[in-house]
Amino acid sequence: MEYASKHGDGIAFRTLTLQQLKDIHSASCRILDEVGVIVHHDEAADLLKKGGAYIDSKGRTHIPEALIKRALHSAPSRITLYNRLGEPVIWMEKSNVHFGAGSDTLVYLDPFTGERRDWTTEEVATAIRVVDALPQLDFVMSMGLLSDVDKRMINRIQYALMLKNSVKPQVVIAEDAPTVADITEMAAAAVGGREKLKNMPHFVLYCEPTSPLQLPFESVDKLLYAAENKIPVNFACGAVEGASTPVTVAGAVAQANAEALCGLVLHQLKNPGAPFLYGFGGSPLDMRTMVACYAVPEVLLLQGCVCDLSRFYSLPSWGYAGCSSSKDFDEQAIAEATMFTVMGALQGCNLMHDVFYIESGRTGSLELLVLMDEVISRARHILKGVNTTPEYLAVDAVKRVGPGGNYLGDAHTAKHFREKWQPTLSDFSTYSSWEAAGAKSMRERIRERLRSIMQEHKPVPLAPEVEEKIDAVIKQAKDRLGI
Amino acid sequence: MASIKDLTEFVIQADIEKVKETTAALLAAGEDPLKIINEGLIPGINEVGERFKEGNLFVPEMMMSAQAMKAGVDLAKEKIEGADIPNAGTIVIGTVAGDLHDIGKNLVSMMLDSSGFNVVDLGVDVPADKFIAAVKEHKPSIVGLSALLTTTMPAMKEVIDALKESNLRDQVKVVIGGAPVSQAYADEIGADGYAPDAALAVELCKKIA
Ligand code: B1M
Repeated sequence: MEYASKHGDGIAFRTLTLQQLKDIHSASCRILDEVGVIVHHDEAADLLKKGGAYIDSKGRTHIPEALIKRALHSAPSRITLYNRLGEPVIWMEKSNVHFGAGSDTLVYLDPFTGERRDWTTEEVATAIRVVDALPQLDFVMSMGLLSDVDKRMINRIQYALMLKNSVKPQVVIAEDAPTVADITEMAAAAVGGREKLKNMPHFVLYCEPTSPLQLPFESVDKLLYAAENKIPVNFACGAVEGASTPVTVAGAVAQANAEALCGLVLHQLKNPGAPFLYGFGGSPLDMRTMVACYAVPEVLLLQGCVCDLSRFYSLPSWGYAGCSSSKDFDEQAIAEATMFTVMGALQGCNLMHDVFYIESGRTGSLELLVLMDEVISRARHILKGVNTTPEYLAVDAVKRVGPGGNYLGDAHTAKHFREKWQPTLSDFSTYSSWEAAGAKSMRERIRERLRSIMQEHKPVPLAPEVEEKIDAVIKQAKDRLGI
Repeated sequence: MASIKDLTEFVIQADIEKVKETTAALLAAGEDPLKIINEGLIPGINEVGERFKEGNLFVPEMMMSAQAMKAGVDLAKEKIEGADIPNAGTIVIGTVAGDLHDIGKNLVSMMLDSSGFNVVDLGVDVPADKFIAAVKEHKPSIVGLSALLTTTMPAMKEVIDALKESNLRDQVKVVIGGAPVSQAYADEIGADGYAPDAALAVELCKKIA
């Protein structure tokens, strides 16, 4: 159980035995050594070559295990993320769990009318404020693609919206390294300078290889930029099992792990000791419909492997929670998203994203987001485990109350009942009082909560001069791009 | 000896070895290669297509059957001299510039290929001029464009514009697809068709080729 998750008071979860971990690691090393990868980036190919990789006549880069060992040795095993106010709020290490929303959905599912439409800037800003308000969500992402701005500016404007509408740390998608540079500039303005940002990171950059076994120019360029500037970064493939990776869970993990390790090697060659976030995800191809499906049982198993591997490697872990393949905010969405959230929590995944995704990432549902806030709170309560000290075993209370008595009047109950989990949305009233209060379904209560957050929640504002700096970065980028 | 009818069954069963054996035996016995293709192999893949549509068969099985059929066709082709080899049409396909998503595009390619199209796959991140060069070289009836990113959708229009500039637009039909793409977008940029998935892409191509 050495690499199982360890939560409060004995709660642990394991997916792989030590032997299985070693088998996967060895399979991934074989893939990097015998099959190799294609690196579409000259500096990166050069770094690898100088580090000891072999480039064959077909242009494939073969990575020896020694390079992987060295990278695993130099990479930090933990990362702290700070909010916009400079407070540490996310500790990625061991089995700590944190949750956040997702990026770039195409469709906004209007929570009040059920209409599906393109996102506007205003709607994305509102959605980010909702994430800011929800206590169980630890970080923000870009939520939706802006349909009302020039396409080349989407990532930058999304980032400005995140800074303006939330204090929480972010996970960021950017199309290329110049975009990351602008995002870094905006973040530095918000937190008090480049040097501070470098040492107290406020955002994580999300980079991806293209499976199978390709390192595209932009991804690698961003990865190297992140290494240089100590921006925490992942190199997480989105496996489409049966298309871009083997169809079996173990095969998908072996290849995706090889890709992540290859990213790590490159990253550590560029700047040993820079923070790297290990992980990847999957959405297996449904072989009838050809749809990449989120949150199916195989994906939950894959994430179990990611988490055990991350502890085996002593690297912080990245994953998913609270998302679904369903087209609507319906029973399927709730079943899948809840399972993923509870499993992810048990697995001890350090940074889980995509809470609010439906339709496998094409649509965003704020109703699901609000519901998941409570599901996460339930899951976090479970992670506390069972306290078995004498005070909690309560033999004294049992003696006091005795056979046939009632604990309601006992001091032990009065002392400890507040430790019990409390709902924010679920209803524990009697039928008659529920009816008297309007017989509101969970869905109606979710909408009420959303409405009140949208009307009332005011995120901590940015200083006016910081807003100006952020707007200036946006303006300069527009000028550069000739928009 | 196995007959042409058995060949159809072997394609349905995706039994590559039996398809090869039987095709070779039939050819050796002097059977007409075109008849082997048209009455033995193609009916097999058509039946597989039907079963897939009815939901009784999955894509990987269809792919295996397609490979079995191709193995037979390749053997038969060697014996065809000069005569026209049956072919549903040529399509040049690729993921547009700036976009690296290729899983959907590959599926569309494979299904078109299985349906008898001659597919020229240009890969990912394909700039407009590469499409133009490929159209000049391969003279396809269809150009297929795939994009999964909102930011790369405009590159589809660029290909259409480049086709116009090169006076090639009226020689090809342009078919587009990918998650953010819609019929409305196809209409907006003047594409000839849009397909939401690979199976419908094949139907569309068959219709307009
Ligand atoms: C010619 O005629 C036709 C006709 C029909 C056609 C057609 C052409 N082409 C497709 N079709 C149609 O038929 C196919 C089969 O039925 C269908 O094809 P699809 O491709 O839709 O379906 C495939 C069979 C399965 N589906 C897929 O393969 C796509 C799945 C998702 C999860 C996805 C994946 C896997 C990947 N991704 Co990316 N990815 C997402 C996707 C989310 C989603 N659920 O769609 C999407 C598309 N990605 C997105 C993003 C943002 C990105 N991705 C990126 C990268 C990747 C991976 C490399 C990790 C990987 C691709 C691997 C590969 N080899 O292709 C990055 C961009 C890289 C680049 N420059 O292209 C990056 C920018 C993320 C980053 N961190 O950098 C989002 C796009 C938003 C947008 N529209 O702009 C996204 C919707 C996820 C999200 N919500 O964030 C139909 O669309």
